[in-house]
Order: sequence, then C-alpha cells, then structure tokens
Amino acid sequence: MRRIAINPRPDWQQKVESVGLTYHSPEAMAASGRTYWDESACYEFTAAEVDMLEAAANTMQEMCLAAAQRVIDRKRYTELEIPADAIPLIEWAWEAEPPALYGRFDFLYNGSDPPKLLEYNADTPTSLLEAAVVQWHWLEEVSPALAAASHVGNPDQFNSIHERLIAKWKDIAPYLNVPVYFAGTHEPEDMLTLAYLQDTAEQAGLSTQPIAMLDIGWNQGRNAFLDLNENRIDSIFKLYPWETMLEEAFAPHALATYREMHWIEPIWKMLLSNKGILPILWELYPNHPNLLAAYFDKNDGSSLHGMRNYVRKPLHSREGANITLVRKDSTVATTDGPYDGARIVQALGPEAVFNDAAGQPRYPVLGLWMIDQECGGMSIRESTGPITDNLSSFIPHYFR
Amino acid sequence: MLDASTALTRTSVKKSATVAAPLLASAALTMLTGCRQEQMQRCVDEHNVVVDDSLCEMQPQRNPNGGFYPNPFRYYYGGVGNYFPGSIASGGGFSPVAGFEYATSRGGFGSSFSGRGTGE
Repeated sequence: MRRIAINPRPDWQQKVESVGLTYHSPEAMAASGRTYWDESACYEFTAAEVDMLEAAANTMQEMCLAAAQRVIDRKRYTELEIPADAIPLIEWAWEAEPPALYGRFDFLYNGSDPPKLLEYNADTPTSLLEAAVVQWHWLEEVSPALAAASHVGNPDQFNSIHERLIAKWKDIAPYLNVPVYFAGTHEPEDMLTLAYLQDTAEQAGLSTQPIAMLDIGWNQGRNAFLDLNENRIDSIFKLYPWETMLEEAFAPHALATYREMHWIEPIWKMLLSNKGILPILWELYPNHPNLLAAYFDKNDGSSLHGMRNYVRKPLHSREGANITLVRKDSTVATTDGPYDGARIVQALGPEAVFNDAAGQPRYPVLGLWMIDQECGGMSIRESTGPITDNLSSFIPHYFR
Repeated sequence: MLDASTALTRTSVKKSATVAAPLLASAALTMLTGCRQEQMQRCVDEHNVVVDDSLCEMQPQRNPNGGFYPNPFRYYYGGVGNYFPGSIASGGGFSPVAGFEYATSRGGFGSSFSGRGTGE
C-alpha cells in the first residue's frame, strides 16, 4: 500500500460532476484548501493486498452474522439499546431473511499489519457513488499515465460494486412489489446516493419512485404508508437509520406493519450497524487478527481491561461525531456531535499514517463494500487527523 | 509525481457505469386528492376536546422498558361537530371505520435529520 502524489486532471471538477458527484468541494473544507473528492493523490495496492483485504471483509461478514446470532440467542438487546418493541420484528426478520442490499466495513490498514475492523456501516452507508462510479471513471482516464510513468502496467481497481448491485436487485426483485420507493433526506449526498441506487434498480428491471422521508404518509383507515399520490408503499429502500426511525412519530406504524412491507435494509441490520456489535465480536473471537479489543463502556475503569490507548464511541454515532481518543490514559482528541447514550471502548489500532507531498500526515480508512454477503469493492477516506469525519476526503485507488 | 493529464486514452474496460441525473425527489411528485368518501379525523385529548393534529403526531416517548408511553392525544374518527380546537367531538369513535377514507398524515419520518445527511 502506497500513497502516490499525482496531478489532478485539469478539469476534474467537471469530470466528476458529469458522473453525478456535485458535492466534490464543500464550503466547509474551503478554508483548509482541501476538497472532498481529492485526486491529487491516490493509493496503490498490490493484487495480493487486495485479495487479503477482500478475504478479511468476507471473514468479518461471517463473524458479524455469528455475532448477531449471539445477540439474538442471549437476548442482549439492552446492551445495544434496541427498543423492546423492535425485538420481535428483528427476530422475525432474522429468520425470514427479507431482502438486504449492501453495507460497508471500515478497516484500518497500513500495508504491513493485518487490517483491523473499525466498524460496520450496515444500514445507511454513503460515499457509494464515489466508490462505485467516480473512482472507476477516474481510473479509466488516468491509467495510461500511470502505466507510462511507472512500473504499474495496466492498473486495475477493486471495484465491481456497480455490477453487483444490479445483480443483487435482480436477485431480490421477485420478493419486491413495484414501484420500489427510494426514501431519504434532502441533503445532496443522500439524494445522490439514492439516485444512484435507484438507477441500479432500474437497470435491473425494477420500476422505482423517489420520495422524501418527510413526505411518507400514514393513513390510519388504510393501515398503510402512502406516497404523495396516496398509493400504498409496499417495497421501500430507505437511506435513513432504523434507530432514528424508531424514535420518530411513525415508529409504531412501521413496527405494526413491518411484516406486510419490504423495508431495505431490513430491521435486523440494526444489530450490525450498532457499535455494540464490536464488543460482541471480541467476545466471540478474542485476539482475532482483524479485530481490535472492544468492550461496552461501563463508565468506570473496569471496562478498559487495562487498555491505555483507546477510542470511546457512542453506539450510534456517525461521521466521527462524539468520539474521544485516548493515548496513555490522556484524552488527545474529542469531537462534538448530537449522539449520546451508551458507548463502547475500542483499542487503538496500529498507526496507519502516510505523508502527503508536503510531508504532512494523512490518515486513510479503507471502506470495503459488501453487496449482500460478498465483498465487491474498496474505497478510501483520508483525514488530516486520526478521526475520520464528514470532512474527510475521498481518495481513489488502483492495484497492480 | 505522475502526470495524469496526458495520454488519456481509454484502456481495457471491465465494466461501464451509468448514473442517473440527481433526482429532486419531492419536487417530482404532486399530491392528488382521492375520490373516496371522506370522514372527519380529528385529534382529541382524553376529554374528546379537539386539539391541533400535531399533538397526535408527537414523537412517542419511550418508557424504561423500551416500549412507548401512550400518547394522551388520539385521533377521533367520524361523528359530528367541527374541526375547531376546543370543540367537543362526539358520535364517532377511536377506530377508523371501514369504507371511509381518512386524511393521510405526513412528516412522521424524517424530522430528525433536518438540515444534515444520514451519511456514515
């Protein structure tokens, strides 16, 4: 694994916009001189490294399913702050296996130590468009230059996300009723992620319909969720976390009608997208080379099990919010955010730092994309500090 | 330093990706009125006094057991009277009646992420 400085394409903004990435240069990053889509560098991997990372992600998938089974078997829902009225439906969905689509593991990797699982974004992962499409178009254009200027030969990319998504939609189409609705917020990144997923469903032959989460209607007389044309919603992909849905006004209706609808992702994904799955994994597979020690935080020293270097994370935090980073018992970094509630502690992994062209440290986190049960691609978010957040840049990659 | 701006010819392609233009979800849809016979649906308190509908759509409060505290405000279906807050609803009941269409309430999902995305 190497970080390579590379000249951005002169018209890269137009290039990435032409394939849908309009939020490449958020205002919040302007002061730093950085952009969200950053092709002033890329990461190079060997084919053997990619094979190893793919295998690690597939292994983690199996282990996460075993960990979810552990939660169910031992009724450990309280530790994960799963609402009691959701439990029967989680257990029902776990057995019935309604359609599921995708997720993203976040791994720490430095090119020498084994990759370490940081968390599983199993319910509402974003940066999908960048991973599946934008970095692929980037490689198509820059690969001749890469090949000519180095030993690379014809560079390739670990990326079959697009084909796998279409194939998965085809696979689950018989279990869905059309149109399949695609629901989310009005934020550009969410809307584009939904538009892309909607496109993959259309390419699989499904008719689709977008709808804002706020526009989803509930009709008591029909005992159903309705779209803005008063048509019943049966099959719906929602880019909106289950744990949040279960705190909102329509939660009782969603639970009461869950068995009659098709929600993607299914409600059992709450078990995997929850940081509480990390201590369960560590219990089941202590000292596994791809895991970091993790424990539920009991707000006393006992939950640290002697760790002096660790991260404290809320069960449901997103985009690096409400994180505390501790080295040698001292807090060295904290982030703000809206997430409170129960937390876990997770050991700090091996250093994964690469210098940029100016010699400044960059901290990459690898996203390994799971389409249903199989790993089908990789993406990289890079930060100027050790906590990956919503201002971390997306850096493309290739392998040789 | 490699120069990616030169020699941009297409190499072997193992896939082709297609991306839809951004879809402005809510703007593309319009609300149509139904043709079914409608019946009154009013939000009332425990004394059947009509209150604002928003009280029936309040965020449910969780109890320590993980369930919901019952909302003291409920929808009252059918009956006589009017929609004015403070008036008394009577002649109907707390269950919707089959064969009638009731107003669809919206906004019960999506309020928690107002102004920010759900990304992770």
